[in-house]
Amino acid sequence: MRVAQLSWSETAGWSTSPGERTNADLVFFFGTRKALTCGARYQELRAMYPDAHILGCSTGGQIRNHDVTDDEIAAAAIRFDATRLRVACEPALSPDRSRACGDAIGRQLAAPDLVGIFVLSDGLNVNGSELVAGIIGAVGKNVAVTGGLAGDGAEFHETLVGADGPPRKQMVAAVGFYGRAIRIGHGSAGGWDEFGPRRQITKSRGNILFEFDGEPALDLYERYLGEEEARGLPGSGLLFPLRIFDPERPDHDIVRTILAVDHDARSMTFAGDVPEGWTAQLMRGNFDRLAAGAAMAARQAVDGVGSPRDGDQLAILVSCIGRRLLMGQHTADELEATGAEFGPKIPQLGFYSYGEISPHRVSGVCELHNQTMTVTTIGEATG
Amino acid sequence: MHKLLTRQLAKAATGSGELDLEVLLRLVSEAYIQSDSDRQRTDRSIALMIQELEQLNRGLDRTVRERTAALREREAELEEQNLRFDAALENMPHGLCMFDRNERLIVCNERYGELYGLTEEQTKRGVTLRSILEARVAAGHSPEDANKYIEERLAEVRGGEPYYAENIIRDGRVLAVNHQPMHDGGWVAIHQDITAQKRAESQIAYMARHDGLTSLANRAVLLEKMEEALARLRRHGSRFTIFMLDLDLFKTVNDSLGHPVGDELLKVVASRVAGCIRDTDTVARLGGDEFAVLATIDGDQREAAIATAGKILGAVSAPYDIEGHHLHIGTSIGIALAPEHGADVEALLRNADLALYKAKSEGRDAYRFFEDAMGVEVRTRRAHQVDLRNALTNDEFELYYQPIVDIQTRRPSSIEALIRWNHPTRGMISPADFIPLAEETGLINQIGEWVLRKACDDAMDWPADTKVSVNLSAVQFRKISPIDYFIETLREAGLPSERLELEITESVLLQGNAENVETLHRLREMGISIVLDDFGTGYSSLSYLRMFPFDKIKIDRSFVHELAKNADCAAIVSAVAGLGRSMRIGTVAEGVETEDQLLLVNAAGCTHAQGYLFGRPCPVGELAFGYAAQRPKKIMVA
Repeated sequence: MRVAQLSWSETAGWSTSPGERTNADLVFFFGTRKALTCGARYQELRAMYPDAHILGCSTGGQIRNHDVTDDEIAAAAIRFDATRLRVACEPALSPDRSRACGDAIGRQLAAPDLVGIFVLSDGLNVNGSELVAGIIGAVGKNVAVTGGLAGDGAEFHETLVGADGPPRKQMVAAVGFYGRAIRIGHGSAGGWDEFGPRRQITKSRGNILFEFDGEPALDLYERYLGEEEARGLPGSGLLFPLRIFDPERPDHDIVRTILAVDHDARSMTFAGDVPEGWTAQLMRGNFDRLAAGAAMAARQAVDGVGSPRDGDQLAILVSCIGRRLLMGQHTADELEATGAEFGPKIPQLGFYSYGEISPHRVSGVCELHNQTMTVTTIGEATG
Repeated sequence: MHKLLTRQLAKAATGSGELDLEVLLRLVSEAYIQSDSDRQRTDRSIALMIQELEQLNRGLDRTVRERTAALREREAELEEQNLRFDAALENMPHGLCMFDRNERLIVCNERYGELYGLTEEQTKRGVTLRSILEARVAAGHSPEDANKYIEERLAEVRGGEPYYAENIIRDGRVLAVNHQPMHDGGWVAIHQDITAQKRAESQIAYMARHDGLTSLANRAVLLEKMEEALARLRRHGSRFTIFMLDLDLFKTVNDSLGHPVGDELLKVVASRVAGCIRDTDTVARLGGDEFAVLATIDGDQREAAIATAGKILGAVSAPYDIEGHHLHIGTSIGIALAPEHGADVEALLRNADLALYKAKSEGRDAYRFFEDAMGVEVRTRRAHQVDLRNALTNDEFELYYQPIVDIQTRRPSSIEALIRWNHPTRGMISPADFIPLAEETGLINQIGEWVLRKACDDAMDWPADTKVSVNLSAVQFRKISPIDYFIETLREAGLPSERLELEITESVLLQGNAENVETLHRLREMGISIVLDDFGTGYSSLSYLRMFPFDKIKIDRSFVHELAKNADCAAIVSAVAGLGRSMRIGTVAEGVETEDQLLLVNAAGCTHAQGYLFGRPCPVGELAFGYAAQRPKKIMVA
């Protein structure tokens, strides 16, 4: 496998990392909504890589090695030696249809030698839990499903996703990796600290949360954020992620990230389900522990893929926009932490997202995560 | 240098390596602002969290206080409930114990200890079932085979199923155990002393099969034994015989000497009959003085039956000495042979009964085998019984009257009422043909009442010096209060008691019936005349004449008929008349049909005469008062 990193800026256009530009089978590219909307960047990539599958999405910041940027497009072109690929793309019209959408994608990709799927999903019109459940339902639990929900900075207005075409809104795209050579590793961790009392979710519907302990959920968030930061909702809500778990299975906890608020209904919409009767607890971040969390996710991914004897590897990092909002200029800390785990030979590509997809660290079942650093490593063992 | 500042410096560096101060200042300022808001947010959230946790704490405190109070209340309730439970446990009549899954006692009441003679130490909490069972055995409160009892009890307990057992304890008590497993592997057992209940049950079972007085088998057992005998007959051809017994004159003993004597007599009879048969045969008392014997026969069935019947007749008719009374009774026996006289219980019993009836009607103290013709007779009699019953309601009885004439005045001193049955199809039936049947069925009492009432009514129209004479059967004397009955009837009719004459036969006095004699005395004291009827036909013991001061003696017509031809008869009539004269008792010659006969009885010394010479029995409307053979019949009605 060969990997070439690319970047694009308004002033410099496309530039490649040192080394030869090779033909590619697969290209990932991530940029701001503003940079992708026109579709020109896709066309340029298509011209550079006429035979490749090209997948990309809008983000809350692009990751290229140890840097997070807002004004550049980050991309990587991958040439496989023995791995086959297949791409699926489906419209994501509303959160109610997310399971059907996931099912359709899973059906298109399902095959006996399917090893892994990397998903890029619309970030605002999708119930990520249902989407993942739909894919798993079609391909089975043994296929590693990773990826993330596209972002829109801190604006939560519109996200774009594309596969073999210019990125568009309300789309879900996925690429399946087939064959015996492909090695996919994955890891997911948060590093957030729980704080304050445990609360019961007393009223919710799907991914819309109405009440904790009989009190409107939005009231609680506004109180904790203070008047000034509350004006930044829903983005500022990410500063207090919500850890939820079924009281019957307290070790199987999930962190949810906020996507939208409704001031009239006093409700909050999350990127995944918030079931009634579950227990919830607010979380807060500490730079060092968030970075340590990211490092742990990287370690898990490295442990999973092992060390291929030859060829390159690529680490795709999908980290939550909430982490970036909290860490600000310290965001690079977590990219340095993951980079330290991978070493200098493995390039890092990725983006800040509205939701992360990866197998759960305890159950192994693929699901939607929030407020985590999710790492997918790709390599080939051709020997 | 702080790594953030290093990073900021790197970002602020231009392509030529110079530092863009404006960029650097912006980055540094942003970092300060972010740091401030981080701190503020952290402060706020920590304050809020503390506030929330404190509030939660207060809530928890309150909950703890409330729950503690509720627990105390519940504790008090439980204590009270325990007291009630204890009271219920200790006041129940049963022994109760509860064991845990390890066969250790949880609780038991005092009654449990009492039942098995266990000490307090032996029934304290935690004691094992085995040691309790062993203590029971040591105290002697276990069944005979103690080891078996212990092992069985333990096995049953471990079976985990409910069970009920009754154990007979060495001291004779019967203790019931009702064992009920509980969900937790333990059990509750209720122990009850059912000795009295068991005794009562076996008593009831015995009573259901035996006659209370004689301890003989009862009818139910007889039927059962007959079914068994019939089964043997069908399988092996074993023949058997049914004897039906009915004591002769037993009622007389009962009536005259009272029930206690009668009961004693029955007991002796029972044991004598039982002594006549083999142990394997059955004697049953069917009620009253009726007995039945089921005997299995070897050899010639008829001969064997005759031999057995003979033995029974002999045994029963042997003299009895009961409470100072020297008694003689006999029995009649009806015999039915199986299978000759019937192939089922009903037929055999019915046919033995028919044979018994025949034996009784033919003179008693005898046996008869069943014959087919008996059935026909009985059916006829039964039809007559029905007719007789209907006769009363249909008013088919009539009274005929025949005068009894004072030989000196030739005027009727009294008129005898004689009953006739005007049967709708059979015509006029004489009393000889239906009175025995009436006596047998008990209808005699109702008929007798009717006769007395009618006769008294009719007599009201007669001359004041003419008495009415009514026959009174021995059976009628058994009425509970004959005196009151006579007073009432006379009062209703308005007839003075001096105008009533009662004719009784010597059977009323038979066997020295003191009660009847007493009744006769009281009737006589009322002014009613008492006449001894049919003298000369029965025992005619002169002792009867001494026993009671009769007003008149009636000499049976058979003597009068033979007067002219038979010197013996003349002598008897003279002797009786002479006896009467000397005892100041009037004598009535019955059956006087001719003037010659009248002359003879007059000559013999009789004071009164009755017969066709003075008028045949006739309806009340045809009565003539006063008599002269040559004169017109109807002389006068005063």
